[in-house]
This record gives sequence, structure tokens and C-alpha cells, in this order.
Amino acid sequence: MNCEVCQLKELEVEHFEIREVLRCILHTILFHRALGLVRPKDVDLELFEITYVQCGDMELERKIDEKIDQFIDRVEKHPNKKNQICLSFYEVKNKHATWFTNKVERLFWEHWYINLNVMQHPKTPSGKSHHSKLVVDPGVEARGARRAALEASLRDVLFQIIKFVNEKKDHVPSIPNVEGIPFPYEITISSSSDSAFGMDMFKRMLQTGHPTMLS
Amino acid sequence: MASYHGNTRSGAPEIEQIITVIFAGCLHIILESRCPYVSFPKHSSEQILSFPFPSPSSSPSPPSSCSSSSIGLRDKWFKLAHRDCPAALENIGFSHQSNLEPMIVDVILVKRSGNWDLVNYSPKRGYARNLSGKEWYRCSSENDEFGCEIESEKIIERWVVQYESKQSGDNGGGVMGSNRATCKSSHELYKKSILLLRSLYATVRLLPAYKVFRDLISSAQIRAYNLGHRVSSFVEPFTSREEADMQSFVFPPLDTSCGRLCLSVVYFSSELDIISEPSTPISPQVIHEYVGSPMVEPLKRFTAVPVSQCSPSSSPFGRRHSWSYDLYRVSPSSVNPSPSPTYSESCASMPKQLSHRFPPASLRHHIPNETPPAHMKDPNFHEYWPSPTFSPSSSPSPSPPAYNPDSHILKALFGSESAPFGLSVSRLSPLASMPKNQLLPPSPSMGTCGHRVAKTDGYAGLYPTGSMVDKLFASAKEEAGKLSGVKQSSNSSSMKSFSRSPSRFSFQDNFDDSEFSGLLIPDDDDLPESSTRPDAAALFHLLEKAPPLRPDISITTNLVQDSKPVIEEISPESLLGESASLNFSSSEIESSKTTADAFTELVEYKKMKELLLKQCKGTQA
Repeated sequence: MNCEVCQLKELEVEHFEIREVLRCILHTILFHRALGLVRPKDVDLELFEITYVQCGDMELERKIDEKIDQFIDRVEKHPNKKNQICLSFYEVKNKHATWFTNKVERLFWEHWYINLNVMQHPKTPSGKSHHSKLVVDPGVEARGARRAALEASLRDVLFQIIKFVNEKKDHVPSIPNVEGIPFPYEITISSSSDSAFGMDMFKRMLQTGHPTMLS
Repeated sequence: MASYHGNTRSGAPEIEQIITVIFAGCLHIILESRCPYVSFPKHSSEQILSFPFPSPSSSPSPPSSCSSSSIGLRDKWFKLAHRDCPAALENIGFSHQSNLEPMIVDVILVKRSGNWDLVNYSPKRGYARNLSGKEWYRCSSENDEFGCEIESEKIIERWVVQYESKQSGDNGGGVMGSNRATCKSSHELYKKSILLLRSLYATVRLLPAYKVFRDLISSAQIRAYNLGHRVSSFVEPFTSREEADMQSFVFPPLDTSCGRLCLSVVYFSSELDIISEPSTPISPQVIHEYVGSPMVEPLKRFTAVPVSQCSPSSSPFGRRHSWSYDLYRVSPSSVNPSPSPTYSESCASMPKQLSHRFPPASLRHHIPNETPPAHMKDPNFHEYWPSPTFSPSSSPSPSPPAYNPDSHILKALFGSESAPFGLSVSRLSPLASMPKNQLLPPSPSMGTCGHRVAKTDGYAGLYPTGSMVDKLFASAKEEAGKLSGVKQSSNSSSMKSFSRSPSRFSFQDNFDDSEFSGLLIPDDDDLPESSTRPDAAALFHLLEKAPPLRPDISITTNLVQDSKPVIEEISPESLLGESASLNFSSSEIESSKTTADAFTELVEYKKMKELLLKQCKGTQA
């Protein structure tokens, strides 16, 4: 089975926009992969005029929020870096446990890479605090333009997901008769400057065989 | 293609059945997010239930085996539990002749004309007609329900679901095959159809028309546009100009062993700018029937005071509702056609007990067009009801109303100063600055009383109930007694309290002594001896026209600020106080008065007045 990889379009976001953007993207992907019975829930973004769909699974929502919190913490610890969240779906193979190991082999069949470039606000000098409020503030119009551009980019990302889901269907495993998400998944966080970043990718390549890179 | 007219189920029957369900599923997903008043056809769900779907172990199980019991069987297809549509149009139905006929769903933006009357509308049933076998379904927009004219229609979205059979469609093997594997089994097709419908479900919410839909179903305002739809097999193609403004999104086709299912949408993205204009609220209209309306509730009327219907002050309800009288003065009876933001401001200034008498404009939309009761059909009465917009700025000049001898007391009580609070306050100050001898002309002495009442009430002439009118009548008599020295208090404190506050009106907290003390209690300077005769004449006239006091009228008021309890019944004794030298009894009041009796009373009033004046002097000294 091939492992399909989808590199989503990079988004430039501000710190306070991370949560909403990641929620929207992750839930959209999972809605398309939760091929068990779901009760869709429409969610309106507060910062953008976009409505996305959730699976209606509270446990899933909690897990995603946890990962987003971890991502935000990582962003704060590693500023000025491009950060990436990877949502991967896998199948569990060879569940047998040995005497010394309890290794469960995961066979990844899909990777989604969400690339975020978190903008950092310039720190204002203490002596010019009064002026900085006037200068640093990009203005309502500039902020609005940036917000509109981000909304358009986010919408493009969502359409990119929809298109990818419909173009690549053959690698999706058979759907078990369960509710919610029938496929196990994992969410990993990495940064561009991490030495482990490339290693993570290399490991996955080894596990999955011959991935097909799609941009 | 022609061969399929006689054979509607080509290829594997299971695949054809899945394709049929996919058509229905697409229609459902599209309509539930575009048309607020559409419900899914019932008979199509029966088709789904009867579909025999194979159930191998690794395949998606058919709907009947799904665990959720709260979801209809229809909803379990494609593992997507749809929510119900909010409303349903009658006569919804469609016939799917063949999978080979495309299903084209047009989402239409319908703009209403501006001239439509919500109050007088009669709901009309929406219609749906099946024009031909080719046209599956046609539904009118919701405009018909409101009796509005459709100004314009524009297709803002066009969804096309088409299944091309391999035998009929000749799209080239290279284009058709590409890298996509063909669904050779129904299970595989079902799995891919799940993915397709999930994508469709997400896509309909990303397009601009969804925002319009949400605005329509969420907003309580009635907008000048609506969404309609049309389902058909054949439509006129868009012009090149229209296509230039439209964007398209084509779902990757779903290949089967028998054909290919294509789903695409063409939509306007610029339409949103037109739709997002703020809708103007419907102009407020006067509602004559509401809870507590005097039209609805029969009011007690003072039979001794005949009223004419020639002027607002002489309306049958004018005496009881001095507040309404005040509002007559503020604005004429015409309804303001334009949106009136001042209405809300005016409402805010109204007392709480009166707010229910003027429901907000938005509620008026929901009031059915009922025939008012007969007594409310009095045209004279209607003109007396104030327009919803009244503000201090719109109040007329403080000219006294037309004199009506029958309602002289009312006019005397309220006079021309019974304007909204702001106005009355402004008017009070110049009055206070006027020389005192000008403050108490003969007739407006009652007017000053009304002034004071307006001020202390804080509502400036807006009085809630008819019992207040009774109080004012009673106080009119009391005032007459005071001026002539009839009313006497046992001690100076009560005199002070009387001078300080018109407590008999139960408006005491906000009373400003400095402004009213001079108005209520005339000093000796104000009332020289020579002015007693005109006062007496006016007083006599007032008494002659005053209605008889009824002992059974109950009010809640504090006549004095001293330790005397709240007087719940009007009786002459309570009004005049225990020290009154003149005893009124209900029998005396009710008995017919002769001129001699009147003069006798006048003399007694005069004595009381002198006594009060003396007491005032003594207090001030």
C-alpha cells in the first residue's frame, strides 16, 4: 500500500491565530478520514468567515486541542522558526508482543503536513513605548488586508484538502464498521531547525517504503 | 445514449443503485445548506431502505446494521448523520428517471421589491410544480408567502451531478482512466462515495452562498432577498459574461466499472458583496391592540365628565391616560414611515410600566392582522394614539390645548407642560425663574400641579393607570381647598411636608423643594387679598365641573409625608386631613349641589386657605 503525503500550503499566522487555523485544518482532515458514522458539527471560526466541519467527537476534539497547546508551547520556546504539524494515519500490523519488546508496527498510509510560519511581534523599546504604540501598530487597514489574505489562504488550504481527498482514494484502507474515526492516527510537532525534523521524515520513509510526494 | 432510455439500469445493478443514492445524497446535502425551508423527500428514504446492499465482513455495513438508533436509516447512508432541515415545502418530490440524466441544482438569489406590507400580508402556500418529466422539481421562492413582488432572480450557484455511462460517454480512455482506479466492486464504490459526500458536505459550507443561507436562517430580520432553488435536468447555459464572473470547482470524478460520476459547481463569489448590505428594518407601525391596551380592556369612565371626541384631550381615554394625552401633544398620530431610532430612545425614557404599551417595532411584525374590536374602530380614537417616534425635539411648542370645558380639569391638571420628561424639566426651570405672581394664573394652578407631578414622577406626564387620574381629580379638589385655606394640617410639619412635596401624588423621592415649593404654596405675596375673588371664581368653576368623588375608588398614595399611613381610599376626610374644619362625606359629595351649597363650601374653603396661609407664615417665621 502506498503512503500518500500531502504538503499543505504554508500559512503565515500570528500567535493568536494559531489555535483557530490549526483547529480548522486538523478537523477538516479528520472529518474526511473519520469514515465511520459521524454526526457532523458545523463550527464557525471567530477570526475568519469560514465554517468548517467537525466529526462531533468530543474525545477527538480534546486530543486535537492538546496537540495545539503543545504546538503553541513549542512556538513560544522556539520563535523565529517555521513550525510544522504532521497528521499521520496508519494501520497497526503485527500486534504480537515478544518477551522483550512490545513493539507494534505501524504502517503509515497517509501524512498531512501543516506548515505554519508564526509571525513574531517586534519588541518595542521601553523608552519609546508611547511612540511605539503609534508606529508598531500596522494600522487597521493593513491588519485587515493581512487578515483577508490569511482567510483566502486558509480557504485555499481547505480546498486543497478536499481535492487531495478526492484525488487519492485508493490508498485508503477498508472502512471498519465503527463510529467516528476508524483509522488510528498520530499528530507530531516539529520545527524546521530541528535536527530531529529530518530524522522524523527519514524514519517515516523507511517505514512506509516508497512515499509519493505531493505538493 | 438512446439505448438507455429503454434500459435505465445498465451495468451492475448494485452500482446503479449506489449511483442513485449518491444523487439523492448530493441533493440532500446541497439543499439542506442552501434552502431553509426544504425537507428531504420522504419517498426517497423509502428507496434507500429497500436497497439491498451486500455486506461482506470488510466492507462498510449497510445502514440497517449501524448502531446508532437515534438516527434515521436514511441518514446512515454514507456514514453521515444529517440533521433535519428546518422546514419543509409542500409537494416536494422528484422523480429520478435515469442515472444518465444529469441533476442540475440551481441556487437562486431572489430579491424582493421594497414595497411590501408585513402587517397585512396573508401567508400563501408555496407551490411546486413538475413542469415536465425532465424537470424533477421546481420550487418557488419564499416571496410568495409574503405577497411580495420578486424584483430579480439570479443564479448564484449551479451544481451539476452527472453520471456518464461508459457505453455512452466517450471521454477518451486516457482522460477517463488517468491514475484513478476504477471501482470494480460496489464496496469500493461505496467507500469512495462516502469520501465524495464528505467532501461535498465540507465544500457547500466553504462557498459564499452558505453565508447567505446562514444569514437567512439566523437573522430575525426580514431581508430583502431570499434563496430559492431549482432542480432540473436541462438548463440554459450561462452566458460568457456570467461565466466570466463565476468560479468553478470540479470534484475529481468517481470512476466505476460502468461509468463515471462527476460533480461540479459553478458559483458567484462577487454576489456576496451585494448580499452583505445591511438590511433596513421594517418601518415601525402602531399596534393598537396589545396587552393592557385601553382598547382591549374596558376602562372605567367618569360618567360625570362628558367628553367630546373633538380633541385629543377630550378623548374617552384622555382623562384616564394623561400620559397618552401628553404623547398626543408630542407628535401627531401619523406613523413615521422611516426607521426611527428615536423610538428606542423614547421607549427607554418611558416608565417600565408603560413600556409594554409600546412594543418594539420588531414585535409588530408578528402581530397578526386581526380585526380590532368595534370599540377600537373609532377613527377619532386612532388618531389619538401616538406615533412610536416621539422625542423631546419633536414636541410641539408649549401652547395650551384647545379648550374643552368638559375636560377643563384634565387640562388644568396637565396643562401644556405635560411633555416628555426632558421637555418638562426644561420648562420647569424657566417657570421657576419667573416671578411668582406669574406662576399661578387662575387656571394653570392645576397645571403647575401637573408640572410637579411630572417632575417628581420622573416620567414627565406619563402616568400609568386610570387610578392616577382619580388621584389627580381628588388632588384637584384638595388643591382648591388648599388655595382657599380649606385644607388644614394639624401641625407645621405636615404643612411643611405638604409644601415640600406633593406627596398625595406619591411622587416624593425626586421632588425638588426649591422648584416646587413656590409653585404649590402661594405666599402671601403671591396671593394678595384682592386675588381671592378670581381664585374663588375659578375654584367654583372647577368644583362645578369636578366629578363626584367616589368612596370606593382605591388608590395608593401618600398624601402627607408624616406618619400618616398610606391612604388607600379616597375619602373627603383623608384628603383634607384630620384637622380639616370642613367634613366631607360621601353622601354630601354625591348629593346634588345647589348654588347655595357651593357658596357655602367656597366660604369654607376660603377659611381653610386663610388658615393654611397663617400656618405657613408662622412656619416661616
